[in-house]
Amino acid sequence: MAFIEGSLFCCLIAMYFYYRLGTFPWPPPGVQLPSRLLPACCMTLLLLSCIGSYLASEAARKGDRKGMIWGMGLNLALAIAAMTCRAIDWRLWNFKWTTGVYGSITWAIVWIHTLDVLGDLVYTAVLALLVLLGNVGPRQRIGVHADSVVWYFLVAIWVPLYVTVYWVPYFWGANG
Amino acid sequence: MRYIVTAFLFLLAGGVEALLMRLQLSFPNNPMLGPDKYNQIFTVHGSNMMFLFAVPVMEGMGVWLVPLMLGTRNVAFPRLNAFGYWMYLIGGLLLYVGLFTNTGPDAGWFAYTPLSGPQFSPGKRVDIWAQMITFTEISAMCVATELAVTILKMRAPGMSLNRIPMYCWAMLVQSAMVLFAMPAVMVASNVFLLTDRTIGTHFSNPAEGGDPLLYQHIFWFFGHPEVYIIFIPALGMVSAIVAAHSRRSIFGYPAMVLSLVATAFIGFGLWVHHMFATGLPQIGEAYFTAASMMIGITSGVQIFCWIATLWTGRVRLNTAMHFVLGFIFIFVMGGLTGIMLAAIPIDLQVHDTYFVVAHFHYVLIGGALFPLFGGFHHWFPKFTGRMINERLGKVSFWVLFLGFNLTFFPMHLLRLKGMPRRVYTYSPEMHWTAANGMATAGALIILIGGILFIVNVISSRRSGPIAGANPWDAGSLEWAADSPPAPYNFAFLPGAVSRYPLWSDPADRVVVTGMRNDRREILVTETVSGEPRFRHVLPGSRIWPLLTALLATAGLVGSIFYFQWYYIGAVLTAIGLIGWFWPKEPVEIEP
Repeated sequence: MAFIEGSLFCCLIAMYFYYRLGTFPWPPPGVQLPSRLLPACCMTLLLLSCIGSYLASEAARKGDRKGMIWGMGLNLALAIAAMTCRAIDWRLWNFKWTTGVYGSITWAIVWIHTLDVLGDLVYTAVLALLVLLGNVGPRQRIGVHADSVVWYFLVAIWVPLYVTVYWVPYFWGANG
Repeated sequence: MRYIVTAFLFLLAGGVEALLMRLQLSFPNNPMLGPDKYNQIFTVHGSNMMFLFAVPVMEGMGVWLVPLMLGTRNVAFPRLNAFGYWMYLIGGLLLYVGLFTNTGPDAGWFAYTPLSGPQFSPGKRVDIWAQMITFTEISAMCVATELAVTILKMRAPGMSLNRIPMYCWAMLVQSAMVLFAMPAVMVASNVFLLTDRTIGTHFSNPAEGGDPLLYQHIFWFFGHPEVYIIFIPALGMVSAIVAAHSRRSIFGYPAMVLSLVATAFIGFGLWVHHMFATGLPQIGEAYFTAASMMIGITSGVQIFCWIATLWTGRVRLNTAMHFVLGFIFIFVMGGLTGIMLAAIPIDLQVHDTYFVVAHFHYVLIGGALFPLFGGFHHWFPKFTGRMINERLGKVSFWVLFLGFNLTFFPMHLLRLKGMPRRVYTYSPEMHWTAANGMATAGALIILIGGILFIVNVISSRRSGPIAGANPWDAGSLEWAADSPPAPYNFAFLPGAVSRYPLWSDPADRVVVTGMRNDRREILVTETVSGEPRFRHVLPGSRIWPLLTALLATAGLVGSIFYFQWYYIGAVLTAIGLIGWFWPKEPVEIEP
């Protein structure tokens, strides 16, 4: 999974810089620079939510049912908070995917990553429900562990994507 | 098995399309197919052969053979395998629904923008192509995942990395390539093409800062490894056949393995040689030419090792070996034109002409189809429990071999006379008639060869002599199972005491005891050493993979018409997956 998604996001980053090289100015006139605060909050919350995954995965190793529920709950809460930050910020954008290639690639990166994150949140929620219902066999414990690994990947891949989408227009933007 | 049968049916369909094209080109100004039908047919032919035949048949053979060769009972993740199969089948049907309703894609099997973009390809034709790609890529990635895990974790005890059969090495390398290459084509077809066409993004619209050339980069970053994804399993098959029928171990095993891995690495570094005619910086041209020529070295290592094996072995010249020798001949021919194409001055001259058509049919049919047919004859006793008719097999080989060369060799000459690719007809003054007529005659001979092959398969399956477990006296573990193997392959898992366990002294051979036979239990082994670690229970068959595939289909097909179907499809697929993973009862695994 990490291979597949990793190659996918690498392609997207390569595309971003390819377009960046060929387009002046970046972002195009009339398009706001990305905001700083909310995306940074989102990134921080995502990083913090990994603690939840770690706790859940440690608890799964020991077979500690309560620990798993707490870990996954923490993970879910922080991740949902992070996604709320992203959603609020997203609504403030003054461009759509049809606004030049800048809009297309920016939307594509954020959209695909959000879809992935939501997918994993559903997965975590279902697992947490299963554990709550008391179905804690070894398979569920492996599932909790795998869920954490997927989550680490999704957060880790967001670091370069975050830098690309929200910082590059500042440092290597405008008339560049 | 259903993978292989389905893929062969698609081969038949692709062959019919090829024949239609050859008939169309058999004489000048032929009114049989119009330009529009011709465009659809060559696009569907290319897409069909690449996405619906070549990759799936190689993976199908892998799914069937790899567990047997590794001495285990099944692939890892059998339900993922089922899901992959259904996605593949639905994707293939989607393409043909398009073709038969006159909405077959018509922009070439790579659908370059801007021709395939919203401006020049209105309608739904290219959208169908793009989603067909999504279906087949999902399926390929499912299979690649399960094969990689199977090969790394489920080998026979004692089968350390340096004892894995060559074919399994090839499948492992191929799976890794699939995992890295296929996402690129999903970016190209889905993010790029489909959103440009359906919701008005500007990835390939130069007026808004987009770039059609980037589509080519992304596509060929997948498209070139794709060729090796098809070709590397074929190399593995050839190694298996050569070793079994030379009755000796393969010459230069470490060199062979390393050259497979090197091929995979270099294969990712030469996609730009499909784009020499687009204008590149000189350093880029130099690098990609060098990389393209380097691939000749790794392929050469393989060929010389096979020749050394054949030279020092006691060769049994049966049908499978005929196909292997035919492969070596044809593939070397294709390799030589490949070296020519890697040189930019020549490439610019022959770009988009019949020289290229001749080249890639020589390497793909020669490099993949002949080994596949060889493998089919070699493993036919294992598939069916009966021997295939050798005499008819050899006749069909010679008919195919002659027909193939008669079809594609004149295409080199057609280029010398200046014939470009993808033209639906030509006028008599061009003097292309004789060579085209010859090529069409060759295509008809290939058809006869194909019919002979099918007749042979059907009649041998019905009334061939009973084969027994190991008719070739071969050394690898698949020949230790019954022919045809039981659904669980092995009741007692064999151990791998050497690289060719069945050629070891019978006194040294071992089997694993203590595995339960009343449930789907397998043995998980250490990645490097092949030491057994623990037993694991595989899940049984259930309806959910099919259901999930159908739900995902609703989303993917719907999104051709309305983008919102992506969201609906995502929710539906999530429901399918939750149902899939919902535990029936907690299954305990003892260590």
